[in-house]
Parts: sequence; structure tokens; C-alpha cells
Amino acid sequence: MTSVARILAVWLTPAMMLAVPAALAARGPDGLWLGLVVTLAPLIVLGWGTGRPAPGDDPRPGETLFPVVTLLVTVGVLLWANIALAGDVAAWLGARRWQGIVITAAAGWLLTAWRPLRRTAPLLVALAFVAAVVVLLQLAWALALGPIAAWDRVATQPAFRFPPSSPWVISGRDLGVVRGGARLVFDEVHRLTAPAGGVLRARTLDGVRLAEIEWTLAPGQTVTLRAGDEIARGSTLRLRFEADKRVPGAPASGMVWADGRPRRWLERVGLAVTLLAGAAALLRAGLTVRLSGDGVGFAAGGLLLAFVWAQAWAVYAMIQAPDLFLGGITLERLLELPAHALFAEPWRRTLQALLLAAGLAAFLASSLALRERLGALDSTGGGEIGHDPGLWAGLFGGAALASLWPVDPWALSLLALGGAGCALGPAALWPPRQGRTAATAGVVGLIVFGGLAAAQLRGSGGGLLGAAIAYPALVAAPVGAFVLWLGRRVRP
Amino acid sequence: MRPVTTRTTGVLLLAFLLAGFLLLGALPNQVAGIRVAGLSLLWWYGGVLAPVMAVLVAIRWLAEPLPAPSSRE
Repeated sequence: MTSVARILAVWLTPAMMLAVPAALAARGPDGLWLGLVVTLAPLIVLGWGTGRPAPGDDPRPGETLFPVVTLLVTVGVLLWANIALAGDVAAWLGARRWQGIVITAAAGWLLTAWRPLRRTAPLLVALAFVAAVVVLLQLAWALALGPIAAWDRVATQPAFRFPPSSPWVISGRDLGVVRGGARLVFDEVHRLTAPAGGVLRARTLDGVRLAEIEWTLAPGQTVTLRAGDEIARGSTLRLRFEADKRVPGAPASGMVWADGRPRRWLERVGLAVTLLAGAAALLRAGLTVRLSGDGVGFAAGGLLLAFVWAQAWAVYAMIQAPDLFLGGITLERLLELPAHALFAEPWRRTLQALLLAAGLAAFLASSLALRERLGALDSTGGGEIGHDPGLWAGLFGGAALASLWPVDPWALSLLALGGAGCALGPAALWPPRQGRTAATAGVVGLIVFGGLAAAQLRGSGGGLLGAAIAYPALVAAPVGAFVLWLGRRVRP
Repeated sequence: MRPVTTRTTGVLLLAFLLAGFLLLGALPNQVAGIRVAGLSLLWWYGGVLAPVMAVLVAIRWLAEPLPAPSSRE
């Protein structure tokens, strides 16, 4: 488990890998913060202490139950998030949602169940990196633009407009596949065409009066919306937009994107605590991690490469496909080659296939590494929990079934990392003498995390409470660490 | 008290690199938005300088130390 490739595979799941460019494109500096934390968090927890229990402090069999169950649930939720992402990608690229889910879940289960394939995680990680980098280099070469020049071009754009080559302009797309939460508000007069007809609902602004309007459009019929008008959520017809018009939901300009909104540093700290605690749980809980100089160099280099890729991918995507912003940026859109007119067939299709292959390889590597991670916690030392085909069939099957309903893969990943981090993170970084102390601290941390996470359903406000509700680990992880500290004082 | 190891130094430096981003973003008068050679200061720091420094810090300070002589244990 301590091999560098497996550490990278456990941490850099496809949802994590795509969340960074998605956040970079959607929120500029906030995305940069996410990428920086994703890059540095594993290094911080790997360098923190030795993780070695003191002599004679080996956990008794019963004491490993809590971490095993917690990590099992965490692995299940992470699989769910990534299989749901595969379903989203399939739906976005025009296939059936279930097809993406079945292919990834079946391949993942096959790889974890078939013993000869279990040692392929390092190879799969390498394949994912190479494929993703090759597509990126091809894109940069075709644009003849280096990453810094590309960033400069995005940051100086006066507006993000539909390119004439966009699928939203040429053939139109079904609004139903737009799952981002951003409102579809128009900044200028925009003529929309419904190639197949359908019902379009909109909120129009007439002076200061808002009106809800519903149009039943015949195939090919157009409707014109004005500045301030908004397409209502739930419209599912195929729509064609006008070229060179501003993309609804996009930042006002490149400068606004690059400089971002006013700083919300508490939320940034909350995100950092969540990812640090999650990294501690995933990479350190119950493990003795020893990395040589070369190992640390490879791990850090791999994380840096992933971050550089994410930044460049986000910037090139915004140059080539500003329609990314339509309705809000979701992860699956980042797995579509953002160059509709840049490559001729069959080269375009090949690059798209390579990109999907990178995503699938990353998912399979993560599945294998997560299985090994769980098996490494087995108190008997045999790693049976990682070799139980029935258990893993249940995990993949359950995750696949749950993925039939669209969820936000990144929110689910954050939930899994935050929960695991509050339950296992403090004890992973400061191993107590008694497993019972660790379990008590973990349960308390988990309860606080659960309470705050449940409060998310009522929405989050501002200030510390708002940040704590948005990122429950901000409060729950320190509470768990405090209980751990108390336990160590009471039971010397 | 636990001795300060090279790994502790490395972890502290990484934490400082993270804190530097928050600090830079909090500077008044949009200092972080000043453009230098095509990128703003915040993006130079968060996207280039801090990650590269983190790799160097990790290589220099985070590797498992070689087995120490028994007299030091």
C-alpha cells in the first residue's frame, strides 16, 4: 500500500482529478486554492510523525473494527461518487447513463476480484497520466499556445461567448443534461431555436415586473429572450444558441474570473481542514508509511503533474469551449474534448477516446488501491477484507445502483473524506496508546460531523457557523482531536 | 518534549506554503491581482511557485530518515 503509485491512486480519484479544473474554471482563485490543497495535503500527512504505534501498542483485534467499518463506508461512498461520475459522462456524451455505470462498475469489480489483475494499479496510474498528458499536449500544440499565454488570453477576455463551432450552436443540446446549479440568466438579447420543438419555460423581466412564461415551440421555431430573462429550471428540450453571444452563467469577463469574488478565507480553511483530515484517514489510518527519498520525490512529482494538468486543462477548455459555463460547470463536462473544430476526424474521436481511457484507468487504479488500502487494515494481517469477492461485489453493486440517480460526485467525495477524516484523521496523526480512545474520539468527531452535515440541508449562512456547516470537518475534526487529547490525559 | 525532526520542518514549511496563499489573497488593494509576465501574483504563487516549492520541500525534508545509530534511540 505504501507504494507511490498506490498512494497517488487512492488520493487522485477521477472525481478529485476533475474537481480541480472544474473549480478553477468556475471560481478562479478558489479553484486554485483547491488545487493547492489537493497537492499539498497528502505530502503534509505523509510527513506528519511516523505513524508508528509505540512498542506494545499494537491494536487488539476488536479495536480495529471501528476504523475498518469507517473506511469500508468511505471506500463505498468514494466508489459511488466515481461511478456516478461515469454515468454523468456517459449521459453528457450522448450514451445512456446506465451504460457508463455498468462499464465502470463491472470493470472495477472484475479487477478487484481477479487475482492476476490486482497488481496492475501502478500500470493503470501511469496509463492515466500518460493518456491525459498526451491529449493536453496535443491541444496545446494545436492551439500553438503555452499555458501562461493561454491563461493570459482567458484573463483578458472581455466576455465569454459561444464559439461558432460549439455543439450548443451547431446542433443544439438537451437542456436536461445541464446539471450545474447556475442560473441561466441572459446578459443580452439572445435568439434560441428548438430544433425538435418542446416546451420552454422562462422568467422574463418586463421593466421591474417578473413574469413566468411558457412557450410550446414547434420544431425549428425560435424565441427571443432579453437581458435579465432566465430559462427556468426543469426545461428539458433541445436548444440551439446563437454564436458570438455571451454564455449565460459565465463570469462577466476574464478579469472577473481571474481575480475572483471577495475572499472567504474561513471557507478556504474549512476546505483545507476537510482535505487534510481526509488525507490522514485515507493515507495514514492504521498504516505505517515509510517513503524513501525517491518515493517522496515521485509522490510529490505526481501530485505536481496532476495539478499542472488540471490548471492547463481548465484554461484550454475555457479558451476552446466557453460554453462550459452554461448552467454551471460540472465534472463530466471536463471529460469532453474541448476542441470541436480543432481536430479533424478520426483524430478528434481518437483523442476523445484517449481522454475517456485516462478517466477509466484512473478509476480502475483507484478501485484497486482502495481495496488494498482497506485490506491493509485487516487485523489478522491476511488482508481478507480486501480479497472477499462477495463483499466487493456488494460494494460495487450498491454503488452502481445508487449511481443511477444523479448526484454531485465532488460533494459526495468531500462528504466521504470529511466523515472519514473526522472519524480517523486525528488518531492517524496522533496515535493514542489505546484503540478505545481512538474509537471514542472518532465517534464523537463523526457525530459532530454528521450533525453539521445534516444542517447543510437547511442551507448555510455566513461567518463561522456558515463555514462550519459548509465544511463540517472545520469543527468536527478539532473536536475529535480534543477528545483524543483528553483521552490521552485521562489514560496515561 | 518530542524532538523537532526534519520531517516536522518539512510539514511546517508545507503549512506555511498553504498559509502564504491565504495571506496573499488577503492583501489589500488587490495586490494579488497585479500581473507579472502574463500571470497575476496570486496565480504565480498558487499555481507555480507554491507547488514547485512543495515538491522541493518534500524531497529535501519528508523522506524517511535512514536508520539511525542505536545510540541515538
